[in-house]
Amino acid sequence: MQELRDLARRLLRENQVNVILGYECARRGVRPAFITEAADCDRLVFDHRCVHNLAAYLSPRRTHVRALGRPAVVIKACDARAVAGLIRESQIEREETVLIGVRCGGVVLDPADSSPLSSGNIAPRCSACDQREPALFDHLVGEPKGAPAGEASRDARLSEIEAMNPEERLGLWIGLLGRCTRCHACRQICPMCFCERCIADKTQPAWIETSPHSRGNFAWHLTRALHLAGRCVDCGECERACPARIPLGLLSRKAARSVASRYGYVVTDDPAIPTPIGSFQFDDGQEFIA
Amino acid sequence: MNIRRMIGKTDLDVLIRDLISAGKRVIAPVRCGDSQHEALEYAPVRSPAEIHWAGPLPLRSLKEIIFPPTETLFGWKQVKSSVEIEANPNGFRETVIIGARPCDAAAFEIVDRVMGWDYRDDLWFGRRQATTILTVACPHGDESCFCPAVGLSPESARGADWFLTPADGGFEAAILTQKGEALLEPYKAQWPEPNNFSKQQLSGLESKVRANLKVQPESIRQWLEKHFDDPLWKHVALRCHGCGACAFVCPACHCFDIVDEPEGIDRGRRRRNWDACQPALFTLHGSGHNPRKDQAARFRQRIMHKFNYYPARFGEVLCTGCGRCVRVCAAGMDLIAILAEIGRRSEEAGAAS
Repeated sequence: MQELRDLARRLLRENQVNVILGYECARRGVRPAFITEAADCDRLVFDHRCVHNLAAYLSPRRTHVRALGRPAVVIKACDARAVAGLIRESQIEREETVLIGVRCGGVVLDPADSSPLSSGNIAPRCSACDQREPALFDHLVGEPKGAPAGEASRDARLSEIEAMNPEERLGLWIGLLGRCTRCHACRQICPMCFCERCIADKTQPAWIETSPHSRGNFAWHLTRALHLAGRCVDCGECERACPARIPLGLLSRKAARSVASRYGYVVTDDPAIPTPIGSFQFDDGQEFIA
Repeated sequence: MNIRRMIGKTDLDVLIRDLISAGKRVIAPVRCGDSQHEALEYAPVRSPAEIHWAGPLPLRSLKEIIFPPTETLFGWKQVKSSVEIEANPNGFRETVIIGARPCDAAAFEIVDRVMGWDYRDDLWFGRRQATTILTVACPHGDESCFCPAVGLSPESARGADWFLTPADGGFEAAILTQKGEALLEPYKAQWPEPNNFSKQQLSGLESKVRANLKVQPESIRQWLEKHFDDPLWKHVALRCHGCGACAFVCPACHCFDIVDEPEGIDRGRRRRNWDACQPALFTLHGSGHNPRKDQAARFRQRIMHKFNYYPARFGEVLCTGCGRCVRVCAAGMDLIAILAEIGRRSEEAGAAS
């Protein structure tokens, strides 16, 4: 922790950055922090409650964060994939952001949960995660961590759903998406949902009906899943933010599976590797054209 | 009205079964489907056994029972060169809410003020009229609850037709309205009056949640009135992602959007949907100009509407202290901390003047 605080203080003092995007303790667990004064760096923490993906605050649509100036951001290995995505898709410049990588042994799903990390409270993405630190960083801090608790059974539910027949699957999703009231928390918290004008907000024509009825909800969630196919960094923030607790990660992981099997592509924190949706190759499958 | 009854648990189950078999919609807290968490939601029940009387506050408030997330206002159909309107198809089905939490029931009366103000909202009042509310003394508070700070309590009967207090093997019921009396009528003679009606002590819940936030709404309002432009707004809004989760789980937020949705080439429906003030789209003009240009302006609006404009116009805050906005925010926006800070500043300003 001291290492992180000392580094942040130095970055601010030396004017290398204007703001540190990190984590702080608050009344109710841990929350994102925006630290602009070297004297405030002792507020910074990093522990197993730091579930938030702070890369979301780097996107150019966050005008109020951008107004603070050049940022340094605290990133876990999963968050680094989002930073790489923003660089790859020309949303930020690698040089304009200082990346403080932190070693991570898994985080809890609820940042207000102060009990020790266990298989009962771990964020679903962490139980199968084998990356203890990002490869993309300017500074790397923290003690080496062990692998998190929990079984790597995260995709068991996905396989169950794949095994269903289409009617059963439709019934399941009518029920799950029926709970959506279109608050768009999934989109707003997503580091890769950076479109200046989301298709769901367009009115002439209204491609996606804004009403939270089945037709509108299916149009919204399936469009989003497709737009994130091969781009979703699997940080789980959409699912954590959903006030209706819809397991949205199922949709994006299904898309990730398809992209992996079809294009041999897995989302990485190397910004130099292009995504299938952002590149063309002569051997891309095109049987759907014929 | 001073009618009181002792109602055994099995007697209440009889009432609930009678309501269901009479075709009424019975809404109560039930376990969320498909949830791995200990979460409850208000939903229609088919049997009294489904009802969870204890446990945490349901995820969403009761708002959707009166004000659905989407509803059709009317349909239209083009016939040659004119348009036929299909009148509002909304029926107001008789509904009984069992086990409403005090913070959710109270919100209806607060929102009634704006719904009946410059325009009387027939959909809102149609459903209000058709709904009878049985509030239960709050069984569960946590670190996000602050109803005492906004003038309510875990035992507040505001907005209730019946108020139920757990007693040996059932409830002591206070019947508070004519609607409540009508519901009691068939059972009135069979159920005994309590010999000695005394409020049960609710395990100190009131003092526990009172400790979460100690502010005076009027003191908050006075500070807000003078601080439309204040650095506080930029500072607190930084972490806000600009979604509508806080507004959609709020029992008192009531903003809506009206959309026309075509269904085929010559017909369609006009619908009213929940809307929220945190997304940028809420105030985006057709010209491209947005008068609330950043999250600081949008978050200020949320606080101003609830704690300044609404009390200035209607005499009370647009908040029941349920704390759902605090629990649901993935960015850790904390209304309790923000109100405490405003309260502190207001006191300082008061002491200085």
